[in-house]
Amino acid sequence: MTLIATRPGPGAARPYRFPPVVRRAVAGGQVVAAHLPGQNLAVALLLLDAGAEREPLGREGLGAVLAKALEEGTAQRDAAAYALAVEGLGTELVTGLDWDSFQVSVQVPVDRLTAAVELLAEAVRTPRLDPADVARVRDDEATALRMDWANPGPRADAALRADLFGAQNRWGRPMYGDPDSVAGLDVEDIRVFHSEWFIRPGTLIVAGDLDRIDLDTLAAAAFAGAGGGPIERGGPVETPLREGRRIILVDRPGSVQSTLRLGHPAPHRAHPDHVPMALAGTILGGAFTSRLNHLIREVRGYTYGIRGDFASSRRFGRFGVSSGVQTAVTAPALVEAVGEISRTRSGGVTEEELAVARSWRAGQLSVELQSPRAIASALTTLVVHDLPDDYHARLREALLSGDVDQVNAAAATHLHPDSLTLVVEGDAAMIRDDLAATHLAEIIS
Amino acid sequence: MPDSGYPWPIETTRLDNGLRVVVSEDRTAPAVAVNLWYDVGSRHEPRGQTGFAHLFEHLMFEGSLNVAKTEHMKLIQGSGGSLNATTNPDRTNYFETVPAEHLELALWLEADRMGGLVPALTQETLDNQREVVKNERRQRYENVPYGDAWLRLLPLLYPPGHPYHHATIGSMADLNAADLATFQAFHRTYYAPNNAVLTVVGDATAAEVFKLAEKYFGVIPPLADIPAAPDGRTVAATGRPATETVVADVPAPRVYVAHRTHPFGSAGYDVVTVLATVLGSGRGSRLYQRLADGERLAQPDLVGAYGVDLAHAPAPLIATATARPGVSAEHLAAGLHAVMDELATVPVTATELDRAKALLSTAWWRQMSTVDGRADTLGRYATQLGDPAKAAERLPAWLAVTAEQIAEAAAEVLAADDRVTLTYLAEEKP
Repeated sequence: MTLIATRPGPGAARPYRFPPVVRRAVAGGQVVAAHLPGQNLAVALLLLDAGAEREPLGREGLGAVLAKALEEGTAQRDAAAYALAVEGLGTELVTGLDWDSFQVSVQVPVDRLTAAVELLAEAVRTPRLDPADVARVRDDEATALRMDWANPGPRADAALRADLFGAQNRWGRPMYGDPDSVAGLDVEDIRVFHSEWFIRPGTLIVAGDLDRIDLDTLAAAAFAGAGGGPIERGGPVETPLREGRRIILVDRPGSVQSTLRLGHPAPHRAHPDHVPMALAGTILGGAFTSRLNHLIREVRGYTYGIRGDFASSRRFGRFGVSSGVQTAVTAPALVEAVGEISRTRSGGVTEEELAVARSWRAGQLSVELQSPRAIASALTTLVVHDLPDDYHARLREALLSGDVDQVNAAAATHLHPDSLTLVVEGDAAMIRDDLAATHLAEIIS
Repeated sequence: MPDSGYPWPIETTRLDNGLRVVVSEDRTAPAVAVNLWYDVGSRHEPRGQTGFAHLFEHLMFEGSLNVAKTEHMKLIQGSGGSLNATTNPDRTNYFETVPAEHLELALWLEADRMGGLVPALTQETLDNQREVVKNERRQRYENVPYGDAWLRLLPLLYPPGHPYHHATIGSMADLNAADLATFQAFHRTYYAPNNAVLTVVGDATAAEVFKLAEKYFGVIPPLADIPAAPDGRTVAATGRPATETVVADVPAPRVYVAHRTHPFGSAGYDVVTVLATVLGSGRGSRLYQRLADGERLAQPDLVGAYGVDLAHAPAPLIATATARPGVSAEHLAAGLHAVMDELATVPVTATELDRAKALLSTAWWRQMSTVDGRADTLGRYATQLGDPAKAAERLPAWLAVTAEQIAEAAAEVLAADDRVTLTYLAEEKP
């Protein structure tokens, strides 16, 4: 047997084109749609300016509880009848919450889209919000969070976020709240949050075969009874970097792995370095072939995986690294991770690494943007960040033309290994002394 | 009601060495999905070698005759592609989706590791990936509440010696004992063109793919006498319920109820699929309506039921619920059992049936909405049912299931005297 030894080169590239985008003002709201000819499935998503940042301090979790409460019956039908109506169309209400927006969506065979959007609007605009139901949903959500917080991760995430952004800011607290903040929510707060933020029209995102979809009818259903205009969203916030590193130890007795969450503040989404930062983050920790994954997983065998990236929303951002490592190697894993971040900042990346990162990020646009759900999500990015219709084409060009000097400058400017907060959630009795002996930083808790 | 769940062309061929090649052209997007199903999974593992099929999957990314260590990932990602692999009791699959101009690269990489893995396999690589897999076991099964439920359910469902008795992740002891020669032999035994299906879906013609498959895979010799896994198709009913109670560091009591049903791909399993959707999928399901909404015994987000699509033995149906504060595990288990028992006695209504079918239709079309989803489906049907075109029959088969069939299936496979119940209790905190 002789296998072919020569690696084949690429064939002729076929250009990627983001589907045509249609923007329309209808019935008091905005519609942004993408045409996917021949696609059997369609997605409609109502995008509201009701992200976690709209929640008052001390009321974290309002949006998450409200999301669940929407399905507890509407002006027209009770919860069981509503569930049967929605699921009878083959869909469910999918809600999503991030710092910048609240999203609620349906995904159905295209001929059922209008009926599904009517039901979506019924829940969003006219939920029953009976106080007894809301109280029960709140209690269930608090229990669900308590269950979730029994897993490794959420406590470490919360400790990192608070240390980076300060618990005196809404964005210094967990996006979905924590078990206590949710348990403490007042039923009336939830009803008020709805009346303040869920009656405004928002934007209807549609991804599907527009030859079989009547956008005007959808918009009329989505925006019926809506009112009120947009509200100022506030500019980017300045978050100072720390002087010196610190270790925060979160005790999880008996844990066979230590959960690592490393991070520091970074620029907001509209920063001009967005693309070179993304490329630097990809090389450092954003892909399977990244430096961190190669070193900590493939060379050392300390973990099943480690990732790092820059993440940003409209007003703030952060650089972060996350992993779970075997308890016994917690200290060396932490030392090596910090070392790799430092090397990337001071030594930069190679042309070879950048070539892989560039084509991976650009190629992912054609590979990942296939399904109506993925296209709807891409349209959401356009709306939330005020980006033009040809954004994805431009992004592709920007990624492909990212050069080493640019990326190295971004790494040098935006990576701050000496200002990292190192959160370690694990069996403190087993790892505290090892962590102290690394001299990476003072252990502050 | 659609006549077909697969309205795209399918073309197939078989190379002289036995490799089956399946192509489904779709030029909507300039991307192509490449998917290889090898007909080997943890069901083939003998005693003392649990976890080997999956550890082997990891080794397939660590270089081969003409591909240096770490180069596989780098080349796929460097061409803009996504890739991964999975192992389950039945089979191992490897897949990548790449911009269409890199199809040939993907085929070259797959052929090189099918035909040329052994010369590149080193002790160092094995030792490293063994540690990675042990970390995977810790992360997924050991370090999370209820994480070992699947590991505990399988031996309750399937007797010792049955190919599904042990979980794919394997035991730490067996992983520690794994030696290089065993893995070299594993490749020489199972990784052959006549034990695999190559599926390509997307922006490529069948003629082009067939030609490239011949070019890269054609030289790999077939293997004679690939050993079959133990036959697990018949599992005798025990006639008595199996129960296990685990006291662990969990935040609330949780109950799993499981039954052996029918193999994936059979008419009986189509009925079970619809039954599971009626029982435990969505807020309109019986479990949600009765236990989360009605009696309020269960946490709303943590109640459900599903079939596990395994093809070589009666596949499991699993229902699960987690207790709300103040509800005991016994009370919850009794509620779960009652709802399951009623599937045989309280007829499924037209509304319940329509709801389940609508949800299944959407789930099917969601799987079909990407080239990678389609490639995996065709690979499965070619490998397990002998013909990729049979994929088109699944959705119509679900849509044809009747309420009477569900009641019959419930009476047949959900019998209380052959039921597995696994209960987690929260340990007392000092």
